[in-house]
Amino acid sequence: MRAKVDLGVIAYFGLNGAIVFFLLAPIAIVSVFAVNPTPYISFPPVGFTLAWFAKFFANPDFINALWLSLKVAAAVLVLSMLIGATAALALVRGNLPGARLATALFMSPLMLPAILTGLALFQIYLLAGIGRPIWGLVMGHTVVAVPYVIRTTLAVLHNFDRRLEEAAAALGADPARVFLEVTLPLIRPGVIAGGIFAFIVSFDQFPVSLFLVVPKGETLPVVLFNYMKFDLDGAIAAASMVSIALALTVVILLEWRIGLRAYLKL
Amino acid sequence: MRKSQTTRRQVLLAAAVSGAAVAVPAVLRGQSSVLKITTWGGKWGEIMKGKVLPAFEQEFKCSVEADQAFPYLPKLQASPKTDPLYDVLHSNSNEQWQAVELGLVERKITAKEVPNIADVFPYAVSDKIVGVSIFTSAVGLGFRTDKGLVPPTSWNDLAAPTLAGQRGGYLIPVNSLGQAHLMMLGRIHGKGFEDLDAAYKALEALKPIKLFDFTGQMEKALLSAEVTMGVLHDSGIFRYDGQNQPIEFAAPKEGVLALEQVLNVTPGSKVKELAFAYIDYMLRPQVQKELAEGVWYSPSNKKVRLEPKYDGKLFNTEAKVAQLLQVPWQWYNAKKDEIDARVQRILKG
Repeated sequence: MRAKVDLGVIAYFGLNGAIVFFLLAPIAIVSVFAVNPTPYISFPPVGFTLAWFAKFFANPDFINALWLSLKVAAAVLVLSMLIGATAALALVRGNLPGARLATALFMSPLMLPAILTGLALFQIYLLAGIGRPIWGLVMGHTVVAVPYVIRTTLAVLHNFDRRLEEAAAALGADPARVFLEVTLPLIRPGVIAGGIFAFIVSFDQFPVSLFLVVPKGETLPVVLFNYMKFDLDGAIAAASMVSIALALTVVILLEWRIGLRAYLKL
Repeated sequence: MRKSQTTRRQVLLAAAVSGAAVAVPAVLRGQSSVLKITTWGGKWGEIMKGKVLPAFEQEFKCSVEADQAFPYLPKLQASPKTDPLYDVLHSNSNEQWQAVELGLVERKITAKEVPNIADVFPYAVSDKIVGVSIFTSAVGLGFRTDKGLVPPTSWNDLAAPTLAGQRGGYLIPVNSLGQAHLMMLGRIHGKGFEDLDAAYKALEALKPIKLFDFTGQMEKALLSAEVTMGVLHDSGIFRYDGQNQPIEFAAPKEGVLALEQVLNVTPGSKVKELAFAYIDYMLRPQVQKELAEGVWYSPSNKKVRLEPKYDGKLFNTEAKVAQLLQVPWQWYNAKKDEIDARVQRILKG
């Protein structure tokens, strides 16, 4: 007797398999290029080498850019969580006139092409005579990262059971204690999730950085782009692998140390 | 009380010191001047940051901020003209023409501001150049030597039917080599660089063709045999000298296109004298030699003496530079939008 073929199940697994493939295929291809000894990107690989990783780590431009990207992303993570969480609270709880308009304004950097945001900030900085300081780069990244934190925090706040706060207040907790011991722990998953997005958005940020970086103060995506114009070799793939590994490590650490635990507490 | 007396020797010494202070350019006196320039990355950037710029900083007692992050022109355009983001703009010729149209760079630089200009080949300061060309590459045909191809002698060889899908060109709207090649097609098949109808027709005949954004991608496509022949500058081939790669450069008989490395000063620069000194420094024979042999660019200064390996290949004599063709970028830039739209239709798909 032949087993009945369930087309729905096949379509389900087929679709999910295709999505996973398209998500992971670029990483798999880059990882192959990173260990292929040819001085150009080719497939299939003709051998195995770690020379491109050695070239990446021996190049001070790459390493300085990597550290700068990590430092900027860390600062953006903190700032975005602070600004995004407080803005989301104000938008939901503040009884602000024009809260919807304010929400749209906060979200607008997501709708603008990031390269325009970068160019606009670049012009503002120059007109203000402040040049292109590192904090200007951090602010630029924060502008495009904050909407992610607002969006994820708003999602948590909309499902928030306010009776928990009322119960704490009825039991004698002052507003500050209610906020610190009830509100904050409950919205933390949304804030952390947004913060993780903010970190990734900043670490990979290219269009905004393009206009805001200074000589000897370039972020990794900008350095990689400029390198590619002259040397399209395996060092690019090695740099990509290192940057993917670092970003993944940070995200996993954040999720493990702060994010998941907060969810479990819920 | 002892009366202080000034001797004749002291007076002469004081006069000499103050005279020297007046005569020495402000650039040499300024201890804290910052020169903001643009420059390339890759091997060029390594040599610049490793040797050329530190030596300049030491000699002129200044610091140099070298921006390697594209795009230079939009950033310069967005900065105030009275306080420009760069003092010296290094770019290819097409961008310099755009910049001069916008009033962002000087039209001409002469030997009065930059004494070493007196020693450059005429093409480096011709009427096709804004500023001064410090180096040039020769754009011709790169090809693989292991695919049984007869070495090309003409630009027309790129259109050989056997190369269908195996020839390489550029995305013309974004790449100046592609733009120069299009003009060259007009010159070969029509009345001159500005004969667009002839150029479009010849471009059509090159299909199917693989298109690239950057020359670096073309180099790698040749190395990996993704293409067997493509439009490329000589330095993009010569840089693999000694690496046993089966690629070679051919200079077509109709002439090679000049891919000039141009330096220019921004009118609003606060350290204009230092900017001119930098350009003069870049034209010094020893600096030219260092960079020419490092990246295989042909030096503009006639007095440069290259090692035999480079001397035989680079365009560094009057006879050799006579083969260089300079295209009318001012005309091309004025028609760029129209040309972009047309070539995109031609090369679509």
